Amino acid sequence: MNHNPKLPNNEHSTIYPLGHSESIKVYESKSDVDIWNAFNKGDEIAFNYIYRMYVTVLFKYGCQMSRDHNHIQDCIHNIFIDLRRKRGQLNEVQSIKAYLFKILYRELIRKSNKSKEEAHQYPENIPDNFSIEFSQETKLIQQENAQEKIERIQSAINKLTCRQRQAILLFYEEGMTYKEISVAMDFIEVKSARKVIYRALDTMKTLLQTKSENEG
Amino acid sequence: MDLLSIYNMKYKDYDIAHFITDEFFIQWIKNPTDNNSHFWEKWMEQHPEKRQLVTEAANLIRSVKYADNPEFTDRMYVETFEKILKADNHFRQNPIGPTKTSPTPTKKVNSLFPVRGIAASLLLLFCIWAQYEAFNFKTDPEPIPEIVLVKRANPAGQKSVIDLPDGSRIHLNANSEIEFPREFSNDIRLVSLTGEAFFEIEKENRPFIVQSGKTKIQVLGTSFNVNKKENGSLYVALVTGKVSVDTQNGSRMTLEPNEMLVLEDGGAYRKTGFDPKEVIGWKDKYLVFKTSSLSEIRRKLEQWYGVKIELKGDFDEKWTYSGIYKDEMLENVLRGICMTSGMNYKIDKKQITITNPK
Repeated sequence: MNHNPKLPNNEHSTIYPLGHSESIKVYESKSDVDIWNAFNKGDEIAFNYIYRMYVTVLFKYGCQMSRDHNHIQDCIHNIFIDLRRKRGQLNEVQSIKAYLFKILYRELIRKSNKSKEEAHQYPENIPDNFSIEFSQETKLIQQENAQEKIERIQSAINKLTCRQRQAILLFYEEGMTYKEISVAMDFIEVKSARKVIYRALDTMKTLLQTKSENEG
Repeated sequence: MDLLSIYNMKYKDYDIAHFITDEFFIQWIKNPTDNNSHFWEKWMEQHPEKRQLVTEAANLIRSVKYADNPEFTDRMYVETFEKILKADNHFRQNPIGPTKTSPTPTKKVNSLFPVRGIAASLLLLFCIWAQYEAFNFKTDPEPIPEIVLVKRANPAGQKSVIDLPDGSRIHLNANSEIEFPREFSNDIRLVSLTGEAFFEIEKENRPFIVQSGKTKIQVLGTSFNVNKKENGSLYVALVTGKVSVDTQNGSRMTLEPNEMLVLEDGGAYRKTGFDPKEVIGWKDKYLVFKTSSLSEIRRKLEQWYGVKIELKGDFDEKWTYSGIYKDEMLENVLRGICMTSGMNYKIDKKQITITNPK
């Protein structure tokens, strides 16, 4: 594909235009392991693909861990620079997204050890981190007290711990598997991810039940 | 029945708890692939009684969202990317930088003119380094002064938001395409559009021009919607500011807020008012039907969800449907439409069949 006249000169640091879809065409059917291997071997289009596919979600995820968005942008910038420097000696990666989430999380922790700024604290120590919004947007079914019920679920969610909210968001918002969650949250075992999710849902169930009993 | 009350009462029930803790199920809801869609569609065919439950579990899963949803703008996207690549160049230079080459020449000169020798070689190295840096600096960041066009295209079923270099924002609808220069020139901001887009234009001296076919829409700072339909009619709806439209046969028309200009393919035109939700709701994920005919519904759903719809049987041509859905899954929309009309639908991956039993 380097012969494609539309591609900029490869000798130069290749920046593909935003509308450039070559990397998508080449890589969308490949597995994460293959894409990561290609990146590790120095394939710039593989890097371009990884960046395109994940930088936006990575930023969104990062912003759940700190309110300083410039700080997140810097951290993302750092982890990609670091990955590019380590090309040739990177380990195999099963899920690129989960792996990027993990190293961003670690980068934030690393930065928080050096910084005194409030927004750069250890992610779990910032109270509003990983806030969940429970929004029922189904207009089809209108019920008188739907709003009140949404609020009840929302308040149950608000009582979860930061790590529980993190896991729930990775599970439902990001659509990750338990395996991926365990990578992203830096757990050693997959069953820890399951435990966090089950416990979170259990807590919510209990909270919802006690409340509805009180009202009933 | 409301799914929230089911959530309350039936959490103990194995079924819903099973669905919302099943990663394979969640994968299907969040990232449908041929593989998981095949499985779940088949499974639902075998368990039609579970259809309702599945929809509820899906809704529940889709209701959990980040409370804080910042946007990674195109500008940040490009900025970060360029910074990453630039850091790369620095790294490549440093290992072969001047410090490592210094020992050999200094040692030789050292024995004769110790201090001056060191100073001289350092000076020499500095010059080499400076030139090297200067050379790199010159060749690296200076862009080629050629206009690089950026093209963004959405297939059916996909919408996007695009930030332009001047701070303007474009909401590009499904089945649409927009082309613009990566940097606007000094005197004009020109973009070309195929399909439909909503524009929020940053006010400045350079006019902003949208080219749609042979029609040019010119503005300074404003927000408006442009929709070129498949039959060739062009709809320009103005929300704020002022726009002027130059048609292909040379006439110019201006629009005031809340006015919509309809330009037929043959050159005929008319001005009307418009319902904002109906015309520009799409950018906020509102799917709106307002006394829509079946063929209109079909066209909209095909564009919105990227599916193909087949109509089987006789349909009442006078039948119309009105309804609003926000960010809703196709199945729920179909159910809503069919519930009021007595029609039936069948979903087979991307192929929908609507039948009328009457």
